[in-house]
Amino acid sequence: MSTPDEIVAAELERLSAVFAAQLPDQVQAVEKEAIAWLSAPRDAGRYEILSHRVHQLKGAGSTFGCPGISRAARKFERRIAEYRGELEAGRLPAAEDVESAMAELQNEATRVRTRSGDPEASP
Amino acid sequence: MHDGTLRRILYVEDDADIRKIVSMSLEMVGDYAVVACGSCADALEVVDDFDPDLLLLDVMMPDVDGPATLRRLRKRESAADVPAVFITAKVQASDIERYKRLGVCDVIVKPFDPMLLSDRIGQIWQDYRSGERVDTG
Repeated sequence: MSTPDEIVAAELERLSAVFAAQLPDQVQAVEKEAIAWLSAPRDAGRYEILSHRVHQLKGAGSTFGCPGISRAARKFERRIAEYRGELEAGRLPAAEDVESAMAELQNEATRVRTRSGDPEASP
Repeated sequence: MHDGTLRRILYVEDDADIRKIVSMSLEMVGDYAVVACGSCADALEVVDDFDPDLLLLDVMMPDVDGPATLRRLRKRESAADVPAVFITAKVQASDIERYKRLGVCDVIVKPFDPMLLSDRIGQIWQDYRSGERVDTG
């Protein structure tokens, strides 16, 4: 008979596998929101949606065995906040830092897929 | 009058997977009774019947965030004086200090190990009770 610790550990393992499987869709959703926000960066509603999606990835990544995703999401979250801060200060910032942080998030998602044996993931 | 034992935790978190593993851990490892809600609205529906000993609230949620959820729960008699703990992926010390000024007794920073969460909650509860005993003499 399994102990409570073992049952929770097994569920954590199962949810971690689900998280890894859903990661490509999650990151794609972040990318889609990022593109939409960058085309209308003064839209506070779009920023909130993007920010919340990234924040969820950041929180869930390490909990479900993907600390690299948490790190990349944290960096992306910081970049979009900086971009927004520049806009609010009346400057028109370049989007390269946001785009490069997005690319890092995508690369990290690919690494997770490769590690979890997804045949569609390119190394 | 509370007998000093932590039994019932009202937990609010919008991420369904995190909610599930945290609830399981608190129930199975910590042996607490947990009602897990996905939103402030859900929490307000159950709080009076559940009569929690502790509120455990995610900070960043859509629509109504953790601090606003706490303010709304505080208006209910059943949660007016119940200690609260925030869970957040914000890691800046200034954020954590700001949350503590809202009246929460501690802040748990994500990511956390779900297997160790019950111990952490138990420790926070003990610290809270010790402080309360000091305050009341």
